[in-house]
Amino acid sequence: MTPAAIRTERLGKTYVKRRSLREMVLKPFARAEPVEGLVDVDLEVRRGEIYGLLGPNGAGKTTLLKILACLILPTRGVAQVEGRTVAGDEARVKRSIGFVTADERSFYWRLSGEENLAFFARLYGLDAEAARRRARRLLADMELEEVAGRQFMGYSSGMKQRLAICRALLHDPPIVCLDEPTRSLDPLAAKHLRRFISQRLHGEGGKTVLLATHNLQEAEEMCGRLAILNRGRVVRHGRLEEITAGLPGRDQYVITVAGGATPPADPRWVLETGPQSDGALRITAAIERGGTALSDLLRGLLAGGATIVACSRREAGLQEVFDRMDDDRGAA
Amino acid sequence: MKSLGTLGAFVKRDFLIETSYRTSFVLQFLGIFFSVVIWRFISRFFNAPPDTPGMDGIDYFAYVLLGLAFYHYLSAAMLAFSSKIRQEQMTGTLEAMLVTTTPTGTIVLGSALWEFLMTSIKVLAYLAVGMLFGVHLRFESLLPCLLVLALTILAFSGIGILSAAFVFYLKRGDPITYLVSSASALFGGVFYPTEDMGGLINGLSKLLPITYALRALRRALLKGSSFADLLPDIGMLALFVVVLLPLGALAFRFAVRKARQEGSLVQY
Repeated sequence: MTPAAIRTERLGKTYVKRRSLREMVLKPFARAEPVEGLVDVDLEVRRGEIYGLLGPNGAGKTTLLKILACLILPTRGVAQVEGRTVAGDEARVKRSIGFVTADERSFYWRLSGEENLAFFARLYGLDAEAARRRARRLLADMELEEVAGRQFMGYSSGMKQRLAICRALLHDPPIVCLDEPTRSLDPLAAKHLRRFISQRLHGEGGKTVLLATHNLQEAEEMCGRLAILNRGRVVRHGRLEEITAGLPGRDQYVITVAGGATPPADPRWVLETGPQSDGALRITAAIERGGTALSDLLRGLLAGGATIVACSRREAGLQEVFDRMDDDRGAA
Repeated sequence: MKSLGTLGAFVKRDFLIETSYRTSFVLQFLGIFFSVVIWRFISRFFNAPPDTPGMDGIDYFAYVLLGLAFYHYLSAAMLAFSSKIRQEQMTGTLEAMLVTTTPTGTIVLGSALWEFLMTSIKVLAYLAVGMLFGVHLRFESLLPCLLVLALTILAFSGIGILSAAFVFYLKRGDPITYLVSSASALFGGVFYPTEDMGGLINGLSKLLPITYALRALRRALLKGSSFADLLPDIGMLALFVVVLLPLGALAFRFAVRKARQEGSLVQY
């Protein structure tokens, strides 16, 4: 059986909070405080998919990517890339992964884009001629050909990010890990980059993409499956519908009614009303999930003399999952 | 062969960066000229008789010229390894290099190469300007001299790698650079001989590789001493290499592993 592109099993990372000099002097025998970066993370990224890692800042997304890129050693559990254990087969894992860091400074600012790429290509083991050829090819693919000879410091944020993707592709890895690639981009540049990742990298290039982001729209738009991380734990994972299905709470409906009915009041629903230009009333309703609440509301509207013109359910999105995580955090 | 190519890529990278600051590149050589001129004038006021213990019958200007020139190798070893790594940590390029398939050791060595090459050119410039001011260099012991130089670079590199290990782990506050640089300048016979400066200073100077390196290089280049004459110093330098290089490599390996465990490899 072909192994998954990426697989983690009960993966954990515990950081130790460094103590200040003052703490060390005042409490020399106190144990350093542990901080959980990842807790029992089980993931499976299939070959050729775009998998999203979604979560707020500090959720553990970057820690997970850095473990896969061999920059951090896990404390517990297993992380495998194409069937090879990250902590045990570093060289092969590195050959299989292209890592796009979130840090846009990570180039030599006095060198041109092409010189930067040629240098990093040598570090991936390409000889001088192959490095130059590969750099030029990727610059052309990324539409950076015209600025190839310009010093990196003269690049816009979008160009820098595209150059970072070029660098991750220098050794033609089957898997590309992207850490918040659109973080510092304007909406248009972000849209272009998302399209590039979906169509060229994933579609034409057939790469497996692991995308860490806190941009909900980006995750919904690009990822076939995703995992939501919060405080180092995977709180939900799967396809978007699977993640949002069965959320406790309220469903969103939009009901359009004709006739002057006053919607009935009930603690099981929260309504917002507004007239439409055609004289109909538009009701946005957050209705308690399960039970007979929706039927009772519609029955109440009909009993009040209204005609129901339309009724549609709004799919729950990632925003709702995030809102719920925020509520949970507040409650904790 | 591939590793050589990778090391060459580091040299090319640093050459391109260095020469992109053209004025600074030229000024550092002008600085060497002025430094030698200043020491030429200062040496007129230090009429240390050539029979002073440790002077080996050498004129003070020639003594200090070689001290200054070759002290640069020690500075280079400190700068090349620890400062370069620190700089790469802060600019984020270290992370980009560490995710490549090149081993960490090659990255550290490659980052240091340019500094050593430039230092060698600077040392030649020091010696050339010194010759303009009347220092008579002798080249009949060139081969033993090159051997001493190679051992000196290797011994200093051991200290430099040890220092880089501290940078990987502690980020700042690397104690090796401060201790070794200061002790070498004070007790290593760079500016003055330490042979008749009392037991403690004399004892300390014997713990520093620069003491043996400078003595051997001065004897080889200024007196044309033979291989046999240089052998005691060559032996001591070889001992430093045997101790310091593996120690540096071990400390470095430990520091990188520890930093990866703590997740602080690319933090600064």
